[in-house]
Amino acid sequence: MMMPFSFRLAVSLTAFIVAAPLAAGAQQKVDIRRAVTRDVYVRLNGAFSSLRVTGWQKDSLVMTGNLPRESRLDPAMSGAGGAPAAGVKFYIEGSSSASVSGSLELFVPAGATVWAKSGSATIDVTGITGGLDLNIVGGEVTVTGNPRELNVESMDGNVTVSGAPTWMRAKTASGDVTIRGSCTDLGITTVSGTVTVRDGSFERTRIESVTGNVTFGAGIARAGSLLIDSHSGTIELQVGKASLDVDATTITGRITNSVTTRRPTPGREGRGEELTLSLGTGEARATLRSFKGNIRLTR
Amino acid sequence: MTDHLTWETLNDLVDGVLSPSATDAAESHARECAECASALAGLRATLSVARDLPATLTPPDDLWRDVRATIEARKVAHLPSGADRSPSRGWWVTPQRLAAAAVVLVAATASLTGIVINARAPAVAAGGAPAASSTVSVSWQASERAFQASVLELREQLEALHDHLSPGTLVKVERALATIDLAIAEGREALLRDPSNAALSELVASNYRQKIELLRRVTQLASS
Repeated sequence: MMMPFSFRLAVSLTAFIVAAPLAAGAQQKVDIRRAVTRDVYVRLNGAFSSLRVTGWQKDSLVMTGNLPRESRLDPAMSGAGGAPAAGVKFYIEGSSSASVSGSLELFVPAGATVWAKSGSATIDVTGITGGLDLNIVGGEVTVTGNPRELNVESMDGNVTVSGAPTWMRAKTASGDVTIRGSCTDLGITTVSGTVTVRDGSFERTRIESVTGNVTFGAGIARAGSLLIDSHSGTIELQVGKASLDVDATTITGRITNSVTTRRPTPGREGRGEELTLSLGTGEARATLRSFKGNIRLTR
Repeated sequence: MTDHLTWETLNDLVDGVLSPSATDAAESHARECAECASALAGLRATLSVARDLPATLTPPDDLWRDVRATIEARKVAHLPSGADRSPSRGWWVTPQRLAAAAVVLVAATASLTGIVINARAPAVAAGGAPAASSTVSVSWQASERAFQASVLELREQLEALHDHLSPGTLVKVERALATIDLAIAEGREALLRDPSNAALSELVASNYRQKIELLRRVTQLASS
């Protein structure tokens, strides 16, 4: 007699937990399969160097890959009796003496929420429409798709997003942030990383940098707003054909306007510069402020 | 008690960008949760540093000499090598130097506030009835103290969790903090010269937020 699918998954999972690691050199093999809800919450924390997450149209979770033999993987799942799990948690403890080298691939329902945290790691996410909360120190985060909510935090890891998250926050210390696509509510803060936003339409955007350069070369939605603050980074706004009110201020930096013939005026106390422009019918607003970095307006 | 408000929610609440229902829910939680209420108060106090600066402020010459000397000392202590962005530990970053830099940071920040407070006290006393600006000055002092308290608290938490972070991560954190500290110092110097400059106020507030946010993130990273 055939076993129910969920039961077979549970058996597979149990088999993994109790089985001795399958030696492949100094590696142990990971193979976890579980029935989960379409909006399962997956939390993955610990020592891994590479994680690839793919959203798929199935009500199951599959995690495969390899971890160093010394690593310990502790999975915990909600739901009893083979019922689809609504929450799955993995904690990966690495050996203090071994370098982190685990490589994992995770398939989850597209509507899942995935929370992942590691030290230095490469995280690559595709096809998630639920939520993503990714936190690394170094490495790189790449997200492709349209997650409802996307939060990425890194120290010096770069962040690249291609798609249209509805809500997004990215925070780095020195990591670069690159966004290609669209977003309703975008917030980026960086200390010294560069920020590049291109392509689509952004409704409400706030970018803050200390020394990092900021380039915004995307559209601003009708009645939308763009605010860019930087202490010493260069701010470049590529306005394209936008209908936009622009208010640019530097405390000691310079403003270059290549969009109209209007010239900036000297700032307060004769230092810095200020420039106010109204392009088209001014359906959106851009506020650019820099302490000593330069501001450039281009087409 | 339900889960605490996230740092993001607290910031959005202070910035007034939450929806009305989310605002009500967050404020309701903060009324019942001492921890979140404290965080919210600290954040609001920090953000009010720039907004509540006095409309006029003419510091005495000797004040500026001290402020500039303090800022210059901080630059020497913290300035990272622009050419060296490798994650490896730079020559200037040793535990001893990091500890010394932290002490300089705390001392410099404290002395800046002390300078402002001490410089203002005689003026208020000499003027008899407090002028309108003296009220603003109290607000400035309170905001500065709140900022320092938040930074020190987070610094202490981070110090307690020091062993949970790799040396490489600590170097990155200190490098980023040094960058922010330098920006704050430059911004504050300019603000004292031009205290009613709204754009400048916002820029300084942005750097304050960056510092507290970075410390909070690193502390969370170390504690998880």
